[in-house]
Amino acid sequence: MTIPKALTVFDIYERAKSGAKFEEKEWDFKLIPQTATKLKKKYNIKMDKKTIIPTDKELINNLFKAGLEMLVECGVYCIDTNRVIKYTEEEIRESIKVAPTSVQYGEGKNARTLACRTYKDKRPPIIQGGPTGAPCSEDQFLAIHQSYAQEPLVDTIVDGVLQTIKGYDPVPNSPWEIAAVKSEAIMVRAAQDRAGRTGMGL
Amino acid sequence: MRQSDSHEISQLNELKIDVGALVFNAHYVLAGNLIMCEQMPIYGGYAGGLEETTIVDVATTINSFVMTQATWHLDGPVHVRWGITTAREALAVAGHAAMAIEANTNLMLGNQYYTMAGPCTVMCLLETAAQTMTDTASGREVLSGVAASKGVATNYTTGMEARMMAEVAHAVAGMETEKVNAILDKLISLYEKNYKTAPKGKPFEECYDVVKLVPTQEYIDVYSEAVKILTDLGLDYWTKK
Repeated sequence: MTIPKALTVFDIYERAKSGAKFEEKEWDFKLIPQTATKLKKKYNIKMDKKTIIPTDKELINNLFKAGLEMLVECGVYCIDTNRVIKYTEEEIRESIKVAPTSVQYGEGKNARTLACRTYKDKRPPIIQGGPTGAPCSEDQFLAIHQSYAQEPLVDTIVDGVLQTIKGYDPVPNSPWEIAAVKSEAIMVRAAQDRAGRTGMGL
Repeated sequence: MRQSDSHEISQLNELKIDVGALVFNAHYVLAGNLIMCEQMPIYGGYAGGLEETTIVDVATTINSFVMTQATWHLDGPVHVRWGITTAREALAVAGHAAMAIEANTNLMLGNQYYTMAGPCTVMCLLETAAQTMTDTASGREVLSGVAASKGVATNYTTGMEARMMAEVAHAVAGMETEKVNAILDKLISLYEKNYKTAPKGKPFEECYDVVKLVPTQEYIDVYSEAVKILTDLGLDYWTKK
């Protein structure tokens, strides 16, 4: 018996090239819904949408078991190779085991410790403020992000996207896309600095 | 970008990936970067209903750590009809998935915010508050937002929505789950019937003095109105100060 090891992106890529062939439509419209429904029945999972956060320990644990089993049973579909990347349960559990539980997010005095919480924790989550991918015009991008960075309870920034760059549409896979993304990063850093939050995570 | 910034990888709906994502994931891994792997399961989409979408959400969340060696997973269950993360069903999926992961692992999770209403509206702030309560009280580590007006309108996003997210997170952290659920049920019912008539709100340049970078008095008044509603519902953050 081999000792299980956490997978790497290189293992994943090799499996994306060598896994079983599968039709994407079958994946979307049959495998995913049918497996989810089967596991819902197997674990007798019933949710009440008036109860947003569950307190029933059996329901909570059965949801985890069903989700884990879904990942083992289906794997992940690679849309470029039309193949299925499969994992064993042992590989999944090992990846869970080695995942980080605490890291430093950002640098210097404006860095934050991102660390595992529980639902009972009195310590609030990290507040990542920003447009979250919403479009921003070139003339307002910096000011919008500074409005987040200057909020005392905001810990890190999640940026928006530039609607244009020098007036051009930053369409994917074009040079303008690269120019826009670089400008976004430059302007978020400037917004953090102007707000006195140098080192803040992005 | 620094190693200590979050570097994003996106999975595809549902339980899918493309080779391009793996290519830059390899760069992130070899550069020693923090990695955030994102995916927004669709309630009412391929998976189906509430339970099925939650099962897929749990699977997808775990997959971030298996496939991409993620530091943290960014969730975002979204309602197929409304395109928002603050709908009751989307919040139930998020709350249940987070609790399932939290009870069985030490994985670090976030959630992202897409509201129906736009900035400078009470509805937008109440939607934000509802999701913040859900995420904070189900053990998530990162709250990421807010993309107001569903994140599609240009400049319809400001620091004031993040202020609400932050203050409610501080208000709710440590609160008993039963109390959170009771408040949430009332809070969601205040806005969930208004999706078809939701106010678009105002763009950033009408919400802030863009030279001094301070919110307008109008937005401060709207914020105060939302705070009063939340205080009346049982959040004592603003009255304790």
